[in-house]
Amino acid sequence: MLSEKLKRIDDTRIEVPSDYKPGMRVKGIIYVDEVLEKALESQSVDQVANVATLPGIVGASMAMPDIHSGYGFAIGGVAAFDLDEGVVSPGGVGYDINCGVRLLRTNLMKNDVTPKLKDLVGILYNEIPSGVGSKGKIRLTSESERRLMLNGARWAVEEGYGEMSDLERIESGGCIAGADPDLISKKAYERGRAQQGTLGSGNHFLEIQYVDEIYDEKSADAIGLFEGQVTVMIHTGSRGFGHQVCTDFLEVMERAVSKYNIELPDRELACAPYKSSEAQDYLSAMRAAANYAWANRQCIMHWTREAFMDFFRTTPRELGMSLIYDVAHNIAKVEEHIVNGRKKKLIVHRKGSTRAFPPGHPDLPGAYRKIGQPVLIPGDMGRASFVLVGTEKAMSETFGSTCHGAGRMMSRHQAIKKAKGRAIWREMEDKGIIVRSAGRETLAEEMSEAYKDVSDVVDVVHKAGISKKVARLRPLGVIKG
Amino acid sequence: MKQFEIIDISGDVGIKAFGGSIEEVFKNSAIGMYSLITDLEGVKGEKDISISVESNSLEGLLVSWLNELIFHFDAYNFIGKDIVILEMSDRKLKANVKGEEFDTERHGRKLLLKAATYHRLKVEKARDGWEADIIFDI
Repeated sequence: MLSEKLKRIDDTRIEVPSDYKPGMRVKGIIYVDEVLEKALESQSVDQVANVATLPGIVGASMAMPDIHSGYGFAIGGVAAFDLDEGVVSPGGVGYDINCGVRLLRTNLMKNDVTPKLKDLVGILYNEIPSGVGSKGKIRLTSESERRLMLNGARWAVEEGYGEMSDLERIESGGCIAGADPDLISKKAYERGRAQQGTLGSGNHFLEIQYVDEIYDEKSADAIGLFEGQVTVMIHTGSRGFGHQVCTDFLEVMERAVSKYNIELPDRELACAPYKSSEAQDYLSAMRAAANYAWANRQCIMHWTREAFMDFFRTTPRELGMSLIYDVAHNIAKVEEHIVNGRKKKLIVHRKGSTRAFPPGHPDLPGAYRKIGQPVLIPGDMGRASFVLVGTEKAMSETFGSTCHGAGRMMSRHQAIKKAKGRAIWREMEDKGIIVRSAGRETLAEEMSEAYKDVSDVVDVVHKAGISKKVARLRPLGVIKG
Repeated sequence: MKQFEIIDISGDVGIKAFGGSIEEVFKNSAIGMYSLITDLEGVKGEKDISISVESNSLEGLLVSWLNELIFHFDAYNFIGKDIVILEMSDRKLKANVKGEEFDTERHGRKLLLKAATYHRLKVEKARDGWEADIIFDI
């Protein structure tokens, strides 16, 4: 049962007033309509309120419609902090640093793929390392790992994985400046050695899709999307490398909390003042992990492209398989935003939230300057995914942020129980979707019913105006870890 | 006595471990954790590793201990099954873990654990021994 203190602001937003919990410095705002409000857990509302107590928080503690409870910060959360008074918290980024999504276009039509779908999925499953205990095709020496941390996707391209032209279609050009390999623990180096170019497990995937509906012709055109066209979506992050960076720095932050006398309602919000060495060190390490993730998605894309070329016996030109965009949805970044009418630099934490910069923003590549930043929202494996674009309203309301996915509704255990005695792969096949997964229980955990309907989530951000729907993508073939 | 049970939590998964002593709870937490990754019946005790961890609290020690084992799995493919706690205080733990190299052909693949977390973390005395709750990020 949700508290009566919550106030509905309009069709798409709920306010968590600043007297909801003691110590709140700002209010909370949760983007949900009346449908998704029913799925809202009181624990995640508490988490939005807890984040509002952190020093130097600016505007409001926000959450997107795919909100669900996380560690300290809710997943789907957005929080921006002042650089003088504010803090940095690894919990506001999460364990999978720069978990994100990348979308590729092709010149293929759905009908070119469906007759051979099973074989194509099989080949991709063999080409792209996935699942528990899988090792990649790349072995990194400490020296190459250092270069990777500093150069991100550019490292991958220099190693022969992809084209230089890919880089401009990646958030931050696929490399965020300010990474420091000297702040990375030996353990993170070790975990990172064999995991570059691997998908991982859980909700990570590689999906062959087709465009089944266009909502905004002009933007779709600029992005290069049309109805019936085949696309490929890749969802993964910084793998064990990033998990270790987070693990290492949570310990550092635990100590920083007492050193700087920060009062916290929940120890998982452990943080340090932005200007402290602890926070700066974390950010430098986090950037190294973010770069690891961009290189990872670049390598996986490269092998996907090669597999498609091989399979369809065609040339790159004919296949037209190029990168549309790549977004990070677990990251903290220093960005310029307007606060009380003035330009101000803030440290924006997005944990399960996607950047959604508007048309004209200087960080966007030329091709998207007029339409706004492409926003890629993966759904569950049986329903749909979406392409949206960022808006001016996102810039003024949510520090240029929007949702990141469907959001879980069922626990893994519940999902497995619900799937007992069912062959999920066959149910999917009946719907025309071929799935392959490394893990025995992955398909059960990841079945559609375990998630909110991504269409409901996307409708809220579209109606709220913090991003705008461009196209809907339907799954054809799915590779899971 | 039951060694552990699964804690069901939205999005992730946890272990409630039981034991007559604190050492046993730490041991059973690790067994519980390994059994989330694969079925332990198929794991052989061919290789052993020494673990030594420290922390500033008993709860923190549990997190560090399990994260150390996750590290050995993720970096070196080591999956354990038999655990001997050699030395333990509230702040320090030394152990020997027997297991083998994880083989995706032979071992069932269950969950990929990113980390042991501080979420709902608990180590406490129970009616007949000790109990610990630990949640893993999946």
